[in-house]
Amino acid sequence: MSDTFFFRIIASNGIFFEGKVQEILFRTIDGEVVLMSHHEEMIIAVDVGPLSYKTPDDQWHKAIAGVGTAQFANNRCTILLDTCELPENIDRARAEAALERAKEQARQKKSIVEYKMSQASIARALTRLKETSKRGLQ
Amino acid sequence: MANTKEIKDRINSIKETQKITNAMYLISSTKLQKAKKDLEATEPYFFGMQAMVERLQRHLPDIKNPYFESYDELPDEEKTYAYLVVTADKGLAGSYNHNVLKLTEEEMSKHKNTKLFVVGELGRQYFESKHIPIDEQFQYTAQNPSLHRARMISLRMLELFTKHEIHALYIVYTVMINSMQTETMIQPLLPLKASIPDVSIPLDVYHEEFMLKPSPDAVINAVVPNCTNGYIYSALVESFCSEQNARMQAMQAANKSANSILHDLNIQYNRVRQAMITQEITEVCSGAKAQKKGKKAHERKHT
Repeated sequence: MSDTFFFRIIASNGIFFEGKVQEILFRTIDGEVVLMSHHEEMIIAVDVGPLSYKTPDDQWHKAIAGVGTAQFANNRCTILLDTCELPENIDRARAEAALERAKEQARQKKSIVEYKMSQASIARALTRLKETSKRGLQ
Repeated sequence: MANTKEIKDRINSIKETQKITNAMYLISSTKLQKAKKDLEATEPYFFGMQAMVERLQRHLPDIKNPYFESYDELPDEEKTYAYLVVTADKGLAGSYNHNVLKLTEEEMSKHKNTKLFVVGELGRQYFESKHIPIDEQFQYTAQNPSLHRARMISLRMLELFTKHEIHALYIVYTVMINSMQTETMIQPLLPLKASIPDVSIPLDVYHEEFMLKPSPDAVINAVVPNCTNGYIYSALVESFCSEQNARMQAMQAANKSANSILHDLNIQYNRVRQAMITQEITEVCSGAKAQKKGKKAHERKHT
């Protein structure tokens, strides 16, 4: 068994995961990163996208992350996310509706803030849809 | 002494009011249960966020970033202080709203240029009636806080801050200390204070150095909006929970005092009624007596 470290995902609606893992993989603003135990101390910005972690039984678990931050210190990793969901818990219809709404908003010429807002909503909705369709869930 | 009808009317009107306060008590207690559940779920995130920001501030190299701009060089008259005030949509919540508004006014009186962003209808009406200008486009309700609403609020605040329209942002909200106690708080949100010279860490202790990826600037630019958003969301949840708690307690107190008033009024009513009965009996008795006497006198005359 390879080295493990303590990992915790805290979403705004509760603690999503807490326990030992071998490695974690998630998306940052400039690509994906993998963290293994005894990683250097760091703080990374997490971007919307898939997040996976490998538990000591060599199983990969997948979740869909929103934006947040990850920090690695003293061989412990904590990720704070605004949302974190299991792919099977995602309501495709709702995500589709959200995508539609966000696209509608993006089409209208608006202020930079509103543009950023609709881009972020589009990213969230698209990730949700992509991740659920990969699993063949309809 | 008031007559029975007056007392009866009073009792009925208190009973009607009690029906309302009782209903409000039940509503707020069910809402409180939900709010408490939300609060419990959010608390780890909130505390994690606070710890994270603190850590970031402690370990951050001395860098220039718009979010850390403290505008110390600007004189106080040229700075605009913004306050994000979280009140309830409705009154009848004991001193909950009053405390928030009082603290806000106290803080506002310290600075010359202030800007108000009020969440909740009651706060808006209060400031309007006092002719204190508030931001008009800022129409958010305090009911059922959601991440979406927090995102909208924080985006707007960050936009104003980066455009230099506001130079400091504070949030006034209420925290639940326990189910009986709440506390009104004011917390600076922006700008973040860059590494305060830390005297507490001795030199021989290993001081961990954080790598910020991809660059400190990029991390800050991604983390700060997140943290602000998280903070605002958590503050909304805390406040909503406190509001329901305050309302529940206020309504409970109202119910209690209604009961004690009803008790007193009932005693008074019974006394008045008793007095009336006694008076009537006395009147009847004395009337009968007088009549008897009259009869006897009449009989005596004729015999």
